[in-house]
Amino acid sequence: MNKNKIALTLGIVCIILTIAICVQINTIKNANSTVSKAFAKDELRDEVLKWNEKYERISNQLNEAEKRLAKIREESTKDDSNSTSKEEQIRLNNNLLGMTNLEGPGIEMVVEDDPNEIGPLDDIYYHIVHDADLRVLVNELKNAGAEAISINGQRIVNTTAITCIGNVIKVNNERITSPFTIRAIGFQESLMGIDWSAGYTKQLRQYGIIVNIKKLNKVEIPKYTGVISAQYMNIEK
Amino acid sequence: MNKSKIILSTIIGIICMILVCVMFMQFKIVEETDITGIEAAREEELQTMLSDSKTRYEEIEEKLVETQQKIAEYQQKIDSNEQASELLDEELEQTNFLLGKTNVTGEGVIVTLQNNEEKDISASDLRTLINELKLAGAEAISINGSRVLSMTEIVDVNPYILVNEERIISPYIVKAIGNPMYLSSALSLKNSGFIDSYTKLGKTVEMKQEKNIHISAYNSSKNQLQFRYAKEVEE
Repeated sequence: MNKNKIALTLGIVCIILTIAICVQINTIKNANSTVSKAFAKDELRDEVLKWNEKYERISNQLNEAEKRLAKIREESTKDDSNSTSKEEQIRLNNNLLGMTNLEGPGIEMVVEDDPNEIGPLDDIYYHIVHDADLRVLVNELKNAGAEAISINGQRIVNTTAITCIGNVIKVNNERITSPFTIRAIGFQESLMGIDWSAGYTKQLRQYGIIVNIKKLNKVEIPKYTGVISAQYMNIEK
Repeated sequence: MNKSKIILSTIIGIICMILVCVMFMQFKIVEETDITGIEAAREEELQTMLSDSKTRYEEIEEKLVETQQKIAEYQQKIDSNEQASELLDEELEQTNFLLGKTNVTGEGVIVTLQNNEEKDISASDLRTLINELKLAGAEAISINGSRVLSMTEIVDVNPYILVNEERIISPYIVKAIGNPMYLSSALSLKNSGFIDSYTKLGKTVEMKQEKNIHISAYNSSKNQLQFRYAKEVEE
């Protein structure tokens, strides 16, 4: 009877020990994978940086190549008026596509989160600039006849989306943050009209968001930094 | 009798200790799994960043090769004193195509938004939809036949909506050419996607995937594809 009891207890102890060992092994595995994950993360980060550097380099190369192409295209057409008009049309198309730096008269608008401390009963949501606000402002500038627009150096092109992921606003898939500088080239009086008494800018200011608009005789708008291509659409034959 | 009692209580004591140890280990594991959860998420984010960077690089690399090839072709024409009209025609066609000056076809989605008895579709609804489609990689978009370009405005002028200075009315048919999988899954995300969130607001939204979508060229009688104020920066 007594022997049986002892054997039973010993059996239980063995089982518990086994479980404990298993748990131990698991813990070690976990700890190891955390370490290796940290390593992998560093490596990943390095690799992302490496690709971004490579991108910068090749992007500069492409810039140079595009300039040379424009020049050589012009050179090859200089003796023929028919070709010259085609060459001019290609140049205009590239300007319209966003593949070149542009300048001209226009406006610069700076929109900034409310710099004041937000009260404890107040909702911060209303005091920061959202992607939707930027979309409205850009749409109003388009409606006012803007010929080219950029936000914090990101050119608005055919495929541009203005979105947010968490609290980060992205334009052309690049992160931008407040203050937001929106530039537009076009008829200045018309562009300034977006700051009218019942306009969207007025609404933003009511929540403490800072909106400053000024005319500039020479607004510079940079080219689109991505590649404009077509993978899914085809010319209709 | 006494001996076995001592043995028994010792064994029970040991068991208790082991149990306590196991419990502590358990706690530790729970803690660590939490941390690894966050780590994994960050790693995932890095993974997407890496694949984005690679795609971006490959795109631009292809573009560079293309550009260099064109330079060489023009150079050849100049060297042999030939007209470059074929090259020009090709480039003109390609840029017209990318800009939206030609009719295009391809696979994609068609989204129909309609006023119902309770809710009307507003310009802001259309703008949100267009933005989502662009984010999902749409290459060409039209609303009721009017091609959406980079400077296309979409504004309410009750009871109409103005797109490229043209008045349009419900139903609004938005066509988009692009990867149909990306486009449709972006719009039909549960709860947060365009279709779910606008249906919840009581608006009538329908989407279907199509193999063969036609989108017309931008109506060039409008003067959007010219510059009066902007000019290229000469370097």
